[in-house]
Amino acid sequence: MTTGWLPLVLLVGIPFSGAALGFVLWSKPRALRVWALLVSLASLAGVAALSGLPAGSFTGMTLLALLFPTAAFLSLLGQSPHEDNRAAWIMSLLLLGLGLGAMVSREGVELILLALILVLVGVLIHRYRAMSVYHPWQGIGTCGVGVICIVMALVMPLPVSAVALVAVCAILLPLVPFHGGHVAALAGLPGNLPAFLAFLLPGLGFHGLLTLPGGMPEVAWTALGVLGLAGALYGSLKAVVQSRVRSLLAYANLSFYSILWWYVAVAHTVPAQATTYVVSIGLATSGLLLAWHAIRARYGDIDLRAIRGLGRPMPRFALVFTLLALAALGLPPFGVFSGFMGMLLNPSLPVSGSLVVIIVTWLAASWYLLDLVQRLIFGRHRPELRYHDLRWAEMTSLLVIVVILTLLGIAPARLFEPGASVPQTRAQTEVISWNR
Amino acid sequence: MSYVILIPLLPLLAAAIAVVGGDSSREWRAKVGVLPIAGAFVVAAATLVLVSSQGPISLRFYEPGAAANPALPMGLYVDRLSAVMMTLITLVGAIIYRYSTGYMYQDPGYSRYLGLIAFTTFVLLCMVSSANLVMLFVFWQLLSWLLFLLAHNHTHAATLDGAVKTFAFLRIGDVAFLAGIVLAHSLYDTVEFQELFVRAAAMPVTLSPLPGIEISGATAVTLLLFVGGMSKSAQFPLHVWLPSSLYAPTPVHALLHAGIINAGGFLLNRLAPLYGLSSTTLHVVFVVGMLTAILGASMMLTQNDIKKTLGFSTIGQMGYMIMECGLGAFALAVFHLVAHGLFKATVFLNCGNVIHKARQEPAFPHADHAKEEIELPLLTWLTGFLATLVLPLAILLAAHGVLRLPLLESQGTVIFLFFAWVTSSQAILTLTRLRAVASWKVSVAMLLTLLLVIFTYLFAAETFTAFLYPDAAEVDRYFRAAALPARLFDALLVTSTLLTIVSWFVIYANAHGRTIWIPVWGREFRVRLYVLFLNRLHVDALYAGLGRTLMRIAHRVDKHSFGRLP
Repeated sequence: MTTGWLPLVLLVGIPFSGAALGFVLWSKPRALRVWALLVSLASLAGVAALSGLPAGSFTGMTLLALLFPTAAFLSLLGQSPHEDNRAAWIMSLLLLGLGLGAMVSREGVELILLALILVLVGVLIHRYRAMSVYHPWQGIGTCGVGVICIVMALVMPLPVSAVALVAVCAILLPLVPFHGGHVAALAGLPGNLPAFLAFLLPGLGFHGLLTLPGGMPEVAWTALGVLGLAGALYGSLKAVVQSRVRSLLAYANLSFYSILWWYVAVAHTVPAQATTYVVSIGLATSGLLLAWHAIRARYGDIDLRAIRGLGRPMPRFALVFTLLALAALGLPPFGVFSGFMGMLLNPSLPVSGSLVVIIVTWLAASWYLLDLVQRLIFGRHRPELRYHDLRWAEMTSLLVIVVILTLLGIAPARLFEPGASVPQTRAQTEVISWNR
Repeated sequence: MSYVILIPLLPLLAAAIAVVGGDSSREWRAKVGVLPIAGAFVVAAATLVLVSSQGPISLRFYEPGAAANPALPMGLYVDRLSAVMMTLITLVGAIIYRYSTGYMYQDPGYSRYLGLIAFTTFVLLCMVSSANLVMLFVFWQLLSWLLFLLAHNHTHAATLDGAVKTFAFLRIGDVAFLAGIVLAHSLYDTVEFQELFVRAAAMPVTLSPLPGIEISGATAVTLLLFVGGMSKSAQFPLHVWLPSSLYAPTPVHALLHAGIINAGGFLLNRLAPLYGLSSTTLHVVFVVGMLTAILGASMMLTQNDIKKTLGFSTIGQMGYMIMECGLGAFALAVFHLVAHGLFKATVFLNCGNVIHKARQEPAFPHADHAKEEIELPLLTWLTGFLATLVLPLAILLAAHGVLRLPLLESQGTVIFLFFAWVTSSQAILTLTRLRAVASWKVSVAMLLTLLLVIFTYLFAAETFTAFLYPDAAEVDRYFRAAALPARLFDALLVTSTLLTIVSWFVIYANAHGRTIWIPVWGREFRVRLYVLFLNRLHVDALYAGLGRTLMRIAHRVDKHSFGRLP
């Protein structure tokens, strides 16, 4: 992507000015929604132009940058023009601008923008704490820790700054014990924000991971590997017992991203398939949250036990929700499967006993996500409820996500080379520890 | 040669025809849908002839090792094994699709159902013609999901539970399969079948997963992959999903029992050169198959529902099939699965008619058994005696003389003849329960039929082995790798023989109203055994308990975790 101040100004400026102008349309929710959609499209065009597409080379980072505004657009598309959602739309534009800015800027500016994102998320969690199903102070505290870590990364020398940066990445790309902000954001924020943040935050965390400076002590990588394993198990166990869809998906995310952390810690590299993996999980979760938002818009924030059997009265919803769940639980031909498979078959991964834990958590995802599908889609529907299937805008946004997930699943992984590698990459000829 | 791609694509077209369109065209679309599947059968049959004479057909949409490959390397590799499987699948698929157009006509999800049947046929075809392990795994997993969907009935709670159980158990196999692929790739740096076989044979690797435990790389890989096959082919203890899925429409079972469940046998055959490198795995395969065969057949005897009886019968047959692989008789397992597939498809489709008829006529089946003779006639017993004891001996001698089979040098051949014996014994037992063999005509016809069937089976199996594995040295290598210790082998044979003969005496004595003295503990044990098999060895309860324990742990973790609202 083009370097210098112009991209930063442009990519941050478009969504910010869009958000500012959005206040003019505050009293007209329908017009505001259309405006927000146009701004996110303009951001997408800006990213495409700055990355030199279609002539320029396509990398994993370009993909991430392109998908930020795409995710914002899709999360906004299915929204009903209700006044309660206005704040979420404006916030989405602000977060989009900050996110794009954090991706293209260098020399500490990106850290300041990340700090602003964490502050904004913390404020939002506090603002909507009454509707959260997760302890809001846990989320706010995690965001606060993130800001402190960013300050440390800016002022402290290596290796403290490197460790602090890893902690920031662990807050964005959730890893135990820094997952509170991510879970609180997905489980407690209104409108399209959970769906958008489900993609934006891990995307930024992944980007941060790729651009880490060297100097991380070996013991820190080992600790990350252990935390990755613990997080994968913990996320699975937590997801299994959730009766709220949003918290279930948040913990499922924790489990999936912990697998990535484990991978990076043991392989000391981030292959192209990791980009596919992160992007696909973000999109699948985003899609599931959007689909659930459609249900919430109709019946309120209800418990999973209060609704069932949507397959027959809402066939369009059932179809896309099932496809998204399939993608999320790692079935082919979607991106999550391709990314995971590609990561495991990468020669840089040393085969060890910890792989068993990863495989078990992968299996657990089939359990709780299938249970989610089973409870929502199948069984007898409740005759006392009135059912309205997805509107075209809701359906379109979800179908586009399914199409992107499919393309990610079948496209050559080479397209998504991250464009950077994690420092301290070991030689791949290392002897496998349990192989004589 | 690229026309072979039509074989999987035509059923996909049939799925599209069934699903896309309005209600007004539903009926004719359903009827037209059978044509592409029948067309696929014709192409598959032609391909079978072609690969028999000209060798395997390979059609890859990727270049092994190239950086620009798609994320999922897709391609077709059609050798004799694939061609046989494709012919079977398209034939059974076409018949089941055609049958379903009438059987499921009044179902509200008629079009979706037909689409799923055609799509499942497509997935099965892609699976058996996969060019590499990853592609095989892709379609292997899709099959798990399709089984979940096909076993569904939205409004029937037991069916829903069964569908979830089906998917859960198939996923256990899937992740083991995944672990096997990862390990294979890690050790041999390839997922291409031929390269994998060559490298595994050329580079023996020893792994030490735990201190003091050593295992060869080929054994570790094949064991993990075998767990995948165990789940799909309903092998003990991963068999519980099959009886739970029996509420699905009857044609689904025909497809399941004739095609899908054979996936395990296919997998073992596809990877036969790899399995041939590990005697340990082959012995494990043998034990699992034997246990499944015995337990499946025993549980079948205690069922009182026609579909469950057939379901457990399939489990038993799959046990046989896997046991054959464990003995190194890979081609025989394919022959078995083809024969069993056609047989079970017929039985299940017929079973659907019986169930329909029973629903329409409350008095059906007619309860007029009281008029039948309770006593087992001498003629029946003699027929059974001939079929179980004398006939196999005659075949054994004839085979030794006519086919020149090395009977004493090859455990596999002995076991095969032993199968013939046990199978004929089972057949005669079933017939005696019908009490319809007490006439000379029936007895002679039955004996001749059995003779013909077993001889044909023997000849066909020999021919089929030569067809699938033309290299006799390769076949011999598999048999040698699978050979059991001589004493164990002899003990197994002697025990089985004694059990069969004793059971015949018990049947005869009981039928004549004579009492055989059995100690009290023996009688109690027999009753307990019956109850145990009636409850399917409580394996379902065991899994349910395991699930509850896991949930308790999860709830405890949730209760004591940070961030949880009170």
